[in-house]
Amino acid sequence: MSTEAPATLAAWLRTRSDEQLGALLAARPDVARPAPADVVALAGRLAVPVSVDRALDELDAGTLQVLDVVLLAPTDGLAPDELIAALPEVPDDVLAGALEALTTRALLWGDDVLHAPDPVRRAVRHPAGLGRRAVDLRVQLPADLPAAVAELAPEERAVLEKLAGDRPVGHLPDSPDGGSTPARRLLQRGLLARIDALNVELPREIGLLLRGNHPYGRPRRRPAPGVVTRDPQVVDRQAAGAALEGVGRIGELLALLEEEPAGLLRSGGVGVRDQKRLAKALKVPEPDAAWLLELAFAAGLLDVGGPHRDEWLPTRAYDVWREQDLADRWALLAAGWLDGVRLPSLVGVRDLAGKAANALSPDLVRHTAPAIRRSALRVLAEQPAGSGLAAEDLTALLRWRTPRRSDRLAPVPDMLAEAARLGVLVSGVLSTAGRGLLAGGEDGAAGGMRRLMPEPVDHVLAQPDLSLIAPGPLVAELADTLAVVADVESSGGATVFRVSDGSVRRALDAGWSATDLHDFFAKASRTPVPQALDYLIDDVARQHGRLRVGAIESYVRSDDHGLLSQVQGDRRTASAELRRLAPGVLVSALGADEVLTVLREAGYAPAGEHPGGAVLTRPPARPRAAGRRTGSEAHPAPRALNPDDLAATVREIRAGDAALAARRGEAVRQVPGVTTASTLELLSRAVREGVPVWLGYVDAQGSGSQRVVQPVSLAGGFLSGYDERRGENRTFAVHRITSVALVEGEAPEGSGG
Amino acid sequence: MNDGPLIVQSDKTLLLEVDHPLSRDCRAAIAPFAELERSPEHVHTYRVTPLALWNARAAGHDAEQVVDALVRYSRYPVPHALLVDVADTMDRFGRLTLANNPVHGLVLTTTDRAVLEEVIRSKRVAPMLGARIDADSIAVHAAERGRLKQALLKIGWPAEDLAGYVDGAAHPIELDQSSWHLRDYQQEAVDGFWAGGSGVVVLPCGAGKTLVGAAAMAEAKATTLILVTNTVSGRQWKRELIARTSLTEDEIGEYSGERKEIRPVTIATYQVITTRRKGEYRHLDLFDAQDWGLIVYDEVHLLPAPIFRLTADLQSRRRLGLTATLVREDGREDDVFSLIGPKRYDAPWKDIESQGYIAPAECVEVRVSLDDEERMTYAVAEPEERYRIAATAHSKLPVIRRVLDRHPEEQKLVIGAYLDQLEELGTALDAPVIQGSTTNKERERLFQAFRTGEIKTLVVSKVANFSIDLPEAAVAVQVSGTFGSRQEEAQRLGRVLRPKADGRQAHFYTVVSRDTLDSEYAAHRQRFLAEQGYAYTIVDAADLAGPGEVNGPDWVDEPAD
Repeated sequence: MSTEAPATLAAWLRTRSDEQLGALLAARPDVARPAPADVVALAGRLAVPVSVDRALDELDAGTLQVLDVVLLAPTDGLAPDELIAALPEVPDDVLAGALEALTTRALLWGDDVLHAPDPVRRAVRHPAGLGRRAVDLRVQLPADLPAAVAELAPEERAVLEKLAGDRPVGHLPDSPDGGSTPARRLLQRGLLARIDALNVELPREIGLLLRGNHPYGRPRRRPAPGVVTRDPQVVDRQAAGAALEGVGRIGELLALLEEEPAGLLRSGGVGVRDQKRLAKALKVPEPDAAWLLELAFAAGLLDVGGPHRDEWLPTRAYDVWREQDLADRWALLAAGWLDGVRLPSLVGVRDLAGKAANALSPDLVRHTAPAIRRSALRVLAEQPAGSGLAAEDLTALLRWRTPRRSDRLAPVPDMLAEAARLGVLVSGVLSTAGRGLLAGGEDGAAGGMRRLMPEPVDHVLAQPDLSLIAPGPLVAELADTLAVVADVESSGGATVFRVSDGSVRRALDAGWSATDLHDFFAKASRTPVPQALDYLIDDVARQHGRLRVGAIESYVRSDDHGLLSQVQGDRRTASAELRRLAPGVLVSALGADEVLTVLREAGYAPAGEHPGGAVLTRPPARPRAAGRRTGSEAHPAPRALNPDDLAATVREIRAGDAALAARRGEAVRQVPGVTTASTLELLSRAVREGVPVWLGYVDAQGSGSQRVVQPVSLAGGFLSGYDERRGENRTFAVHRITSVALVEGEAPEGSGG
Repeated sequence: MNDGPLIVQSDKTLLLEVDHPLSRDCRAAIAPFAELERSPEHVHTYRVTPLALWNARAAGHDAEQVVDALVRYSRYPVPHALLVDVADTMDRFGRLTLANNPVHGLVLTTTDRAVLEEVIRSKRVAPMLGARIDADSIAVHAAERGRLKQALLKIGWPAEDLAGYVDGAAHPIELDQSSWHLRDYQQEAVDGFWAGGSGVVVLPCGAGKTLVGAAAMAEAKATTLILVTNTVSGRQWKRELIARTSLTEDEIGEYSGERKEIRPVTIATYQVITTRRKGEYRHLDLFDAQDWGLIVYDEVHLLPAPIFRLTADLQSRRRLGLTATLVREDGREDDVFSLIGPKRYDAPWKDIESQGYIAPAECVEVRVSLDDEERMTYAVAEPEERYRIAATAHSKLPVIRRVLDRHPEEQKLVIGAYLDQLEELGTALDAPVIQGSTTNKERERLFQAFRTGEIKTLVVSKVANFSIDLPEAAVAVQVSGTFGSRQEEAQRLGRVLRPKADGRQAHFYTVVSRDTLDSEYAAHRQRFLAEQGYAYTIVDAADLAGPGEVNGPDWVDEPAD
């Protein structure tokens, strides 16, 4: 190890231990893929502006303040002692932690003196919220600056004070007829610099002067928000309440869409009219209907389908979903929401052109959404069970954690509200299921919710007022049947159904017989079936099918002549253009569908008839959209690096680095281009003499590397040998070797030259 | 898992399982803030409305108690959002208060300036407000007190009314309980009303609403104006008051089409008050004729629109509304609540029945098949004629006779809506007919004869829908009605619900024509009572067994020996 301080970032990196390099790669995974060939390549990647921005974005306000101190130092390089002196109010351990974070990420480097790489300097435009130096802004400051500032009028000074705050750049106010505003007077005095037609910047010197004892601003400590504490059991019960509600609503919504799909707008999304219709049918406010649509879509239960791909329909996944138990159903919704790339809260928000966004419109996609949701929930997950934070405190904390991304935090309050509606969160406290969701995805969520969910019931209570009450969530089969034979009147923990002549008629239309219905109610009801219900079924059944309507230009026939006279004489059926063909038969020039509609609207109970004379029933098939593949389509985040990956990458870099060093220590004979006779000759010599060779190699994926290999054999276009650094036996295709050189005497490790 | 009796629904209805051991406690806990909507056999339905929540606030309950009651008795987890909504709604109450200010008169004051600003800007409210007194208060025209409260309620910022009531001219009134006692529920109803100041008491027909009125008067001890539906019922009130209170005949005046007396206690009919001559209400002076301390509205569900308007001007007087069925087909229940006052007491019919204060009733729907000729007439009839044709079908007559024959010894009422049908029935059954054109004197005579048992069967039109006290009637046969009116059905049942001396059952028959509009309307009419827990039995006319036959009525109806 050299005792001399390394002079460059690359040299400093070389002095870092394997663990430290591993930590660097873990903290900045974007530089680790594909594996850099050597330390120089690594240093190069670390300097890429995008990578630097990304690394800075992840730092908290306190750490950035430490960085600011180094950046603002008059010369490059600052000793840690000076740093401590510069921020006297920051506790040492916080400072040490911040330094550690910065050096680990190679945003600062050096052991005794801290250096900031140039790309980092460029990335931080206004360190500590201070402007550039007067020299850089090409402004000539007054000789006696304090005096000049002291004699300013109060409103002028107020402008300066404002710019000396967090942002040194300000917008020049419009002044009619070019009159003098405080800002313009300051410009004339040379206390502000104009940076373009509209904006001015405060020179750093003035900012520092105004800040006095706190040149770097107030110490930016981690906010310590008041913790909200609630009984975890109560939280879980309330979460379960919200979960039940959500699952129930989504089920109702999809059942409605199955009955009558929503149209797909040309611009994508669901039209306002459909949204209103759904809201009315669900008895919820319209924004809630939009939220439910978005949630169903995020969970993959709703998608575009239909014969012309112009309708929103339940997907096949919905068929699976409705069979699942409540906890799993909820978990799918919660997981869909967590990883959804859309912001449901933007529905109805007007864009710049004044057009309100529709539900499910493609304009609502924000790829950062899942990351923001997770980061917000993760903060809450750090709290012990039963504790949480108020929304505004959480946002403040997030703003401190990632100040450079604070513009992204705007949707956080809405996201928290959504989490609360789902039952992930209850007044700022994460529920057990919410923690499960964050830690274990869908399974974790289901696990946290399962014991709280009521057991499904397999019976209803029939009452004399023709209502049926299901005192809990219903088993899927019974729920399906009841949806046909009764209308839902109220839903929630229980479901109240009402049987009416309309619903009985619907069941008969769907192919049930009166006997089936009697048996069904007798079996499904735990209370005795009220006589009124039995009579209702018989009454409707007696009338049902008494009218039969055919398809060949359509006829209406009945054994009941009085009824036919009634139909024919009815003003309301005039639009069907019926006339009497024979006793017991009416015919119409209209299609059967139209005639049926007219008769039904007029209050009759006609049945459609097959040419063979059988009563037509409604087709059993229900419309379905194909739906997306469920799974991680919406995962923009790359797979995290695991320790093995990191170790392998570090080993790779070290090997490349050694190869680099080895090559330089040798009188290189480079063989450029493709396989040449000299390459082969050199290689065979190395095999013969047992001398290690330096290889430039391009692997099958096209990534280049440099290695030092102890060759063993050369045959059939392949060189096999032992790569000591990587500790592996390998075979190299000769045609992929780009350059070869002999290594004379293994270079010692780490001797950087 | 909590195993409570209550299920909280998303639409803020509450389902209460009646057979659950905790159901009584739960009912007591939720009654202050939830309105009983339906009470059929197994599961009762309550609804939490903003109005109910505000009334609960006004009665001194806070959001915490409400939330606690919901959470404690709920079987399933209650959605947090619903609880938050409840708390938010209750929080809206009391931001505004109406109070008397010695200098400025009636003043609207706020604790939340933003709310006052919002309210002042409301088009609906602005015209009723006077001069701004300071940032937090504004004067109100005294006459607008009722309308202002109504308007504020509609925009969701209910005002707490602390302006109080005038006592009115004092007049001694005592209950004379020497031969009877106020029942528990009547006492509770009076207490509920008196504590709240004004409001509506809902009790089943025959459960003694008149006595609740009398007890309220005894509480007020002040001059009282009683508004009733018709003269006969007014005279009934008078009789009851004389019998049950210290009031004498001279202290009670009748203000009707026939007589215009104004006494310390005055009984007026809705009709006379709303009579107009040359476009003007002639009898409005009545409201100012005395310094009334209490105004009683009998059968408040029938309150005609002009009286709504008048009532808005009477907000400083105590108001008591009495009804059995607060279902208005015109949907103005809310106006009743905001002008007369909130519901102060409500009891499920079946509860009162189980305490023995109203007679248990058997409701039977008898289905009659029309003969072919009638069916043809029905089939070709104009839609607006259909119901009349079905309801007045001649095929009903033998069935009605048969029904009456089942109860030879009972006092029976045949109730219908179509006069020619009633006349026909009267002739066929040899029974007197009472209808709109029957004079009050004749009515009184017939009712008296019926009470004494001289007449066993009376045929009545819808004049008998309300407030006719015929304690002896035990069988009612309904042959036609006012389309699908739910409250008419309930009121008609009410005619036979007076408890019988020997505790025997009452019978309520509805004769309907099968497969016609008649049976459709019947189904609609029955909803209210079905929701109150009355189970209708449906019988085919052909299966209607006579006394002593299988499935026929018991021999209870027979004379004792």
